[in-house]
Amino acid sequence: MKTRSITLYVNGEAYSLNVAVNRTLLQVLREDLGMPETKYGCGTGECGACTVVVDGGKSILACLTLAATMDGAKITTAAGLETDGKLNPIQEAFISEHAVQCGYCTPGMVMKSVSILAKNPKPTEEEIRRELEGNICRCTGYVKIVQAIQKASEVMASTR
Amino acid sequence: MSEFAVVGKRIPKIDAKEKITGRAMYAADLVFPGMLYGKIVRCLKYAHAKVTKLDLSEAAKVPGVVKVLGPKDVTQKGYNTGVLDLMVPEPVGQMLGDIEEQYVFTDWVKHQGDAIAGIIAKTEEAAECAAEKIVVEYEPLPVYLTAEESSKPDAVQFSPLKAGNKAFELPAMMFPNNIYGWGDAEAEMKNADLIVENTFYTPKCKQCQMEPHAYVAYFDDQGRINCWTSTQMPKCVHAKIARLFQLPMTKVKINQTVVGGGFGGRLGMIGEPETCAMAMAVPGKYVKVQYLREEDWIASESRHPGKYYMKMGFKNDGTPVACQAHFTSYKGAYYTHGSGVAFTTGSWLVGMYKFGALNYKGDTYFTNQAPCGAYRSYGNAQTSIAMEQTVDEMCYKLGLDPVEWRMKWHKGVGDDGWCLGFKYPSCALDECLRRGAEAIGWKEKRAKYANQTGVKRRGVGVAVMNHTSGAMPMLLEHTTVTVKVNEDASAEVILSCSDLGTGAHTALKMIAAETLGFGMDDVHLLTGNSDASGFDIGAHASRTCYVGGGAVKTACEDVKRQLFDRAARQLEANIDDLDMKDKMIFVKGSPDKAIPVQQITAMGVYNFVDPATGKTIGIPGQIQGYASHFAPHNSPPFAACFVEVEVDIETGEVKVLEAVQAYDIGRAIHPPSCEGQNEGALQQGMGMALMEEIYYDKNGLALNSSFTDYKMPGPADMPKWTNILVEDPDPIGPYGAKSAGEGALANPPGAVLNAIHNAIGIMMTEAPATPEKILKAIKEKGIK
Repeated sequence: MKTRSITLYVNGEAYSLNVAVNRTLLQVLREDLGMPETKYGCGTGECGACTVVVDGGKSILACLTLAATMDGAKITTAAGLETDGKLNPIQEAFISEHAVQCGYCTPGMVMKSVSILAKNPKPTEEEIRRELEGNICRCTGYVKIVQAIQKASEVMASTR
Repeated sequence: MSEFAVVGKRIPKIDAKEKITGRAMYAADLVFPGMLYGKIVRCLKYAHAKVTKLDLSEAAKVPGVVKVLGPKDVTQKGYNTGVLDLMVPEPVGQMLGDIEEQYVFTDWVKHQGDAIAGIIAKTEEAAECAAEKIVVEYEPLPVYLTAEESSKPDAVQFSPLKAGNKAFELPAMMFPNNIYGWGDAEAEMKNADLIVENTFYTPKCKQCQMEPHAYVAYFDDQGRINCWTSTQMPKCVHAKIARLFQLPMTKVKINQTVVGGGFGGRLGMIGEPETCAMAMAVPGKYVKVQYLREEDWIASESRHPGKYYMKMGFKNDGTPVACQAHFTSYKGAYYTHGSGVAFTTGSWLVGMYKFGALNYKGDTYFTNQAPCGAYRSYGNAQTSIAMEQTVDEMCYKLGLDPVEWRMKWHKGVGDDGWCLGFKYPSCALDECLRRGAEAIGWKEKRAKYANQTGVKRRGVGVAVMNHTSGAMPMLLEHTTVTVKVNEDASAEVILSCSDLGTGAHTALKMIAAETLGFGMDDVHLLTGNSDASGFDIGAHASRTCYVGGGAVKTACEDVKRQLFDRAARQLEANIDDLDMKDKMIFVKGSPDKAIPVQQITAMGVYNFVDPATGKTIGIPGQIQGYASHFAPHNSPPFAACFVEVEVDIETGEVKVLEAVQAYDIGRAIHPPSCEGQNEGALQQGMGMALMEEIYYDKNGLALNSSFTDYKMPGPADMPKWTNILVEDPDPIGPYGAKSAGEGALANPPGAVLNAIHNAIGIMMTEAPATPEKILKAIKEKGIK
């Protein structure tokens, strides 16, 4: 298997890697970089549990992304949202609105929320629900997740 | 002003932060030094076949492969992945006919996905390459997909112990004439003015928890097998793994990892036997086994699907005269929960309405599909589809309002619940029906939708349910709790109860903090460690708050009694004259006669002997509270679910517009978690009613083992939602609580289907009511 030298910037830190070209970003994050917060839910791009954010706002599915194509990318995972131990408004809202049950979809949901609000700081409920369609949750029925995103949107608007 | 310090408060869940930051460790996240990877090799080509040749030699040569294991290379003991057999006394288990016919690796494939071999390698990739090099030949056998097929006299027998492939039926020794219920329904039916009779089909739904199955096992240098698993039942798995590998329980350590959803799918064992077998083959090496998502549908247990015959007889004024019902389910390939769902499906029917006579029969037959096990509400969702639609059919025919009829005829306080002889201690169903009907606008909408024309037709439906809080007296409901009080008056609460994401651990900690009079930060819950904790049967039958919480309360009351006893001695007061506030124990009426709790606990640990006098300074003994708690009842919760749908009569598509669940919770220990259970259950209930089913081709191969093809309602499909928690404290549950975990999935299926019936005037007897089936029904029966 051919390999490629890449540099990934993950949560603000640079990682120089030599990856086999068939390794996914999910495998590289979890196994090579020891970052298990990005989850394997299906491995086929159908559930969204592996959602990470690139360049501050775009959400991608790590299980369908070849790491070799991500040279130079600035990637944020669920572990990279805190600042000096302080949670960001989306994380706070997931807690305050009780939007977490088993937690397995949560890192992906939170990252998707980051990209939703980066694209559109004041989404309607319908827009939120449409955007979330690629992220499956089996525990919450999505009720409190949507409420959390709405709360985060309000908080972020008021602190702008 | 709440009467409680902690109970009932909307505090954040204790595990929310670690799940949001991604730091919560699920089994697949675990990494150990020198860890190997195990792959379970499955037969994917056939649903029923004998393995006539298995040659692992080429697979063993693949670089990176450490060991290859066939059926003869591992324990030959049979087992049952379900744990129901641990929850009945052995004589009862024998009477029920529970069997242990599953093997770690098999040479007789009984369903697509059955495990035939195991490979241990240094990388997952090497193991996968090796799997492709396995040489296996099969002798295909006939495939049976229904009870009708497998019960034929010439069918291949799945087990010599089960004639006619009937895995289970209600045993006549416990149920005369194999019937559960009361009276002679056949005879009473003759007194009915109206009879409604149908056979319903309830589908094979999958729990689809978001965490795929993953395990790590390690056979250490003390001869202990250590297993990391997200099972719902750690102490039961502890006992089963010990039995399977013929080890004393002290040589087995089960570490329960964070559970990424269960819904009953993890009620017992899934991949623990294979993973432990692999670890025992490579002593001193950690072995990790990770299931692919697609394995979930074919290699772990689903809901029991089947045919549900229901006949109800009524007087013209609606009086329920008699009910005869028979649920025949397709068991799948192995016995697992054979004696469970076949019985409980009828028990929820038994608990609901005041029929003059009610006779239920339940049986289940082997088929060549993924085995069936436990799925949230355990037969109640199936009963909802049949029972609630039959009641509504009667209401239409007799011109009665479905809400009013249910209010009049549901069972309540003092009536027999799902287990005859055990009467309901509490029931707030009337208030649930009243408030739910008001919330959805029942009267207005039923009137408005009575006469519709046009392509879009709307309807509102209702369905009620009774469930349970733990399965006492049918099953063992035993939980042990130890409360270890540290010298600084903080406490460790040690138990084996599970939290599948439900918030159960948060609720248990709240119960502990409330009972002790300590703050939440002064209490720590230690769970999921089979060395530390005593017996508990795990998360099933919605028992954790009611039985586990009851045990926690009892153990904490034990601590409090010991604290008061010592305080009484120190203060030279009567124990009955003492009270506690802000961790200070004082004499009522003389608050200056007080001693801090922390002083008592410190003195208990640091009990000094004065060398000069030989006298003790302080009160000796570290305080520990203990409870070996057997549930005294099963206080069933009730609920009323209302649903409004819009049916497109040209495309057959159903949109769920609005839903209300009014739930008789007793007391909501942690209200956001109770709400969360109702909210998630609605999604699963809508799925069962409208779209979810595992499809098989005629060869028994699953057709939709992916999220794309196993359709579940998504965020844009969910309706306008109202959650009503009716708090009418139960006299027995801890702080009045009844269960929340499963009941909320019992009634949405019936409510959705009843709403469709109201919209188009047709009862959909086959779930899921897909657009295709709705169009076919409209074509055959005509639209109202």
